[in-house]
Amino acid sequence: MEEDEIAGYVTAYLKKKGFTQTEKIFQEEFQTNKTNSSPLEPDIAKHILSFSQLESGPARFHDGYSRLRSWTHCSLDLYKHELLRVLYPVFIHCFMDLVAKGHVQEARHFFNTFREDHEMMHLRDLQKLEGVLSPTHLEEMEFAHSLRQSKFNIKICEYSYELLLQHLHSTQSTTILGIINEHINFQVTPGQPSSIVDDPEAVTLSGSSQDAANQINQKEIHWGLLEDSLEERLEKASSLLSDSEKGEGEAKEGETEENKKRPVEGGKQGASIKKVKKDKGGSATGKNTKAEVNTVSAAPRVKPELPMPIIPTEVEQSILEDLRNRVQLSSVALPSVSFYTFLNTHNGLSCSSISHDGSLVAGGFSDSSLKVWDMAKLGEQTASSLSQDENDTSQNPQMGQSGGGKRQYTLFQGHSGPVYAASFSPVGEFILSSSADSTIRLWSTTYNANLVCYKGHNYPVWDVQFSPVGHYFASSSHDRTARIWSMERIQPLRIMAGHLSDVDCVQWHANCNYIATGSSDKTVRLWDVQSGECVRVFVGHRSMILSLAMSPDGRYMASGDEDGTIMMWDLSSGRCLTPLIGHTSCVWSLAFSCEGSVLASGSADCSVKLWDVNTSTKVSRAEEKSGNASRLRSLKTLPTKSTPVYALRFSRRNLLFAAGALAKNG
Amino acid sequence: MSIVGKERIEVIAQSIGITNLSPDVALSLAPDVEYRLRDIMQESIKCMRHSRRTTLTADDVDSALSLRNVEPIYGFASGGPLRFKRALGHRDLFYIEDKDLDLKDVIEAPLPKAPLDTAVTCHWLAIEGVQPAIPENAPVDGRSPSTGSSLFIVISVPAEAKKNEQKDDNLPVDIKLPVKHVLSRELQLYFDKVTELTLTQSESVLFKEALVSLATDSGLHPLVPYFTCFIADEVSHGLSNFSLLFALMRVVKSILQNPHIHIEPYLHQLMPSVVTCLVAKRLGSRLADNHWELRDFTANLVASICKRFGHVYSNLQSRLTKTLVNAFLDPKKALTQHYGAIQGLAALGPNVVRLLLLPNLEPYIRLLEPEMLLEKQRNEVKRHEAWRVYGSLLRAAGQCIYDRLKIFPTFPSSLPHAVLKTNARVLMSSPYKRKASLEQLEEQPPLKKTNTDGEVGVVLTNSSPSHKQGEAGTQASSVDSIIGSSSASEQMKNDTISNAVVRSNKVDTRSWKTSAALAQVWKDELNSGRILVSLFELFGEDILPFIQAPELYMFL
Repeated sequence: MEEDEIAGYVTAYLKKKGFTQTEKIFQEEFQTNKTNSSPLEPDIAKHILSFSQLESGPARFHDGYSRLRSWTHCSLDLYKHELLRVLYPVFIHCFMDLVAKGHVQEARHFFNTFREDHEMMHLRDLQKLEGVLSPTHLEEMEFAHSLRQSKFNIKICEYSYELLLQHLHSTQSTTILGIINEHINFQVTPGQPSSIVDDPEAVTLSGSSQDAANQINQKEIHWGLLEDSLEERLEKASSLLSDSEKGEGEAKEGETEENKKRPVEGGKQGASIKKVKKDKGGSATGKNTKAEVNTVSAAPRVKPELPMPIIPTEVEQSILEDLRNRVQLSSVALPSVSFYTFLNTHNGLSCSSISHDGSLVAGGFSDSSLKVWDMAKLGEQTASSLSQDENDTSQNPQMGQSGGGKRQYTLFQGHSGPVYAASFSPVGEFILSSSADSTIRLWSTTYNANLVCYKGHNYPVWDVQFSPVGHYFASSSHDRTARIWSMERIQPLRIMAGHLSDVDCVQWHANCNYIATGSSDKTVRLWDVQSGECVRVFVGHRSMILSLAMSPDGRYMASGDEDGTIMMWDLSSGRCLTPLIGHTSCVWSLAFSCEGSVLASGSADCSVKLWDVNTSTKVSRAEEKSGNASRLRSLKTLPTKSTPVYALRFSRRNLLFAAGALAKNG
Repeated sequence: MSIVGKERIEVIAQSIGITNLSPDVALSLAPDVEYRLRDIMQESIKCMRHSRRTTLTADDVDSALSLRNVEPIYGFASGGPLRFKRALGHRDLFYIEDKDLDLKDVIEAPLPKAPLDTAVTCHWLAIEGVQPAIPENAPVDGRSPSTGSSLFIVISVPAEAKKNEQKDDNLPVDIKLPVKHVLSRELQLYFDKVTELTLTQSESVLFKEALVSLATDSGLHPLVPYFTCFIADEVSHGLSNFSLLFALMRVVKSILQNPHIHIEPYLHQLMPSVVTCLVAKRLGSRLADNHWELRDFTANLVASICKRFGHVYSNLQSRLTKTLVNAFLDPKKALTQHYGAIQGLAALGPNVVRLLLLPNLEPYIRLLEPEMLLEKQRNEVKRHEAWRVYGSLLRAAGQCIYDRLKIFPTFPSSLPHAVLKTNARVLMSSPYKRKASLEQLEEQPPLKKTNTDGEVGVVLTNSSPSHKQGEAGTQASSVDSIIGSSSASEQMKNDTISNAVVRSNKVDTRSWKTSAALAQVWKDELNSGRILVSLFELFGEDILPFIQAPELYMFL
């Protein structure tokens, strides 16, 4: 190649880029070097050549992508699926580059040509993206924005990576190379390519905010249970009872309990907050054989960060009674499910909630009303099938029924928009409801009246949840925040901001120190209630998150999305243990059984599914070691007769309640 | 991908009175309009999800608009899904019909019925993980293999779940009282013992004792639902366990026999299991299992059930026969199933056979024949099955004709023609001889020829021209007559006999004198005669033993 020619290219390139200074220097140098004749390597020259042609137009995106695509499809079978992963990020960034440069027509053409390739995996994203038709839209749209700002992490084996680079260099697809360099972060792993089974972590999105997410997930969280909880007390009481059987006097009971508590607490003060609870009572007597109690007590104990409300003794007694009578559930002992069917809802039921003892059922309607049924009473009147379980447990004060038998329910009116969520306080004396009118209202089931209206959100409040101890509650809204409230203040105590889209659901951690929020940005976040900081970001869902549940031992969290996928997360590591696949439509509701061995999920596909939690966590541990992807066990599918399942609740005795509105078919 | 094109913007502009819209404006407006539309749809989908719905309604769009601080679009309040109509002459153009309503009509119209108020009902979706079979729950599909499941659907009497679960109607108000079932400890022990015996040692003496007890004891009624459940469960799960099935059927029989047990309400649960044991494709897993015996036993059981409860459940027999006939007529079903169906129908009585079986006999035999022949069907088991089916058909038809003939105490005429005709056919067509002899083999399955079958009682093994001897083996007294007739027929073996009446004239040379009146009877009962004739055509002389001896004597 003639040096002059090269020089020509270089100057042309520099001119184009507007590097006038450099151009001058280059020409000077070129003149001086001419005699020295240290020839530029032809390779570099070629590169410069291609760079000078770079800005030739939008067609190069099209060409570059289609070349990469056909090459990938022709590549070796063993490495093909890894290389295919690269296509999608390249595709969307090509598209967005085209849009950003203003080549709208070409962008459209490009998008339509290749969209079929990605429809199966990324249909929703494509649908969002295809509306982007001008550079301003790119700025405006949060999804595009986040895509532009973040990088794709792609796991790829060494050889595939080499292949890819070789291909890109040999074909001089600088455009594509640029996109890959800019937006894809390869995690090159030595050895064989990973198996073809879809590894959820193979392609992940991470970016400036997501880098922070990784850091966030380094933070320590204390997922242990609250110390001195009722369950713990029950355990002690039972061990004491066995002591007293031996001959110890009843009167000593109170004393010994206190004596035992004291050293435990003293130890806790010394150590940090995370402190494995010593099972003093159990080990001392050695008589405690309850499996459930053992699993619960295996969880470390933490101190509450919020001042806790005091539980009235009679309520405490009834809860203790329930705990004593709890049915042990496991993969072989499945729960009984009582189903509440809403009839004649005229498509108006937008949420439903069941009190902890199953005796009260609330329905929020799109006509702004909230209706509460007292099933225990209904059961008494008509001697319904739920005879003993309910009547025993319903310690609620009787509700004065205004309708005088005319209406079976209590009507709560006050909202001015569809009621999107309702939540019972642990004892069942209060209900919270959240609505499209951006307010949350507190109702008393004792007085059948509205007590407080909490205003703070600016947009519809999608979800509201009482904390496990009552008094505090959390709400989530379209305004992309979640807020923590206490019953006696009309202003929120904390505002959790950080989600990139609507916060669709909220759930309390068992120890009340954290809340989890699920969002339309397809992430779940865990927030520290005391500091208001985000302490975990869980990435992995492919669509909007609709339901969350925390395991009673505080270690795990389950989240369900629009596609019917349920994911089980380990809170401490922030990683997905295993996806539970089985539902075919939105998972509206999730619930852990009281000892945490069974997860129930209710879905729009008209079924309740029961999952074995123990194997799921175990299997995934084995999975980590062997790298073998085996799905966890679905224990049972309970189909309803065309009733989507809106709400699920395990009573303290482990009876599962489910609720849903009968959908007319045809 | 662009939904909103430039042209649409222009059209919209025109429709709202802007005529001078420049193309540039339209061009740049179009993508933005589209983006806004998509934005609104995204928000309305969120609203839809939070209303726990999976179909988008106009309300959702309105809420989405209000989220974006846009005034909602009026006029699309959606009670149900919008009904789009296709515009004539356009392929993808739809519109919503907007009728003109006269205010006067609206005012004068009677008030519409108030919609029903929302209510909540409660039922058990599952009890300890098992879904109870109550109307509120989605029907659990039968898990039993092959024919079992289809039979369950056909037979089960709907909507009478009178078991121990509560039964409440879909109306929220009247929830019926749950029936509380209290079992005494003794009964529980009894039930456990009997089920254990049935499952494990059905051959023991103790089990026989238990059967007797089941058939006679008076205090067992509370256990009936449990027994029916037990039987249904075990049958659906134990189709490969022959001895268990047989034991179960014996339990059913005993329960049915018990005069103190009021079994009617549980029949619908019992019948599917029983019918399964009759016409299932496979009963028992081993070749040695004599499932034919089980089928015969069950056939009698079914018949006894029909006899006893036919008047209570008027559709019981019709349902049953329908199931059986369907099984019989379906050529895709296995021969064992056909056998069961035939036996079941035969047990229901000669009338059923005559009405349902005989009309289909001819085509069926034609189908069956190739299965029975050594040349066509190499599989010995299959051939054996075919012969079994043939035998059962023969028996059914024979009993039917026997029954018909019994009506006329001194039935005369049809027999002789029949005999003649048989002989003629036998002599004329050599394949028939072979078939006949094979038939004997079938009646006593090839491996054990030694025993004689009581029903047919034929020991014929030779294929000599006069194998009438064989038939005569059991009816020695008629040997002579038959031989005689055979010789007679030999004389006129070339006669083509097409008409029974004609034949009667020819053959009745000897018995003509006995009664002319009987000939009249014969004519009257042409039908049964025809049946007989057709049976002869199909079965050959094997049908003969079914005809009463007196008639044969008459013939002499």
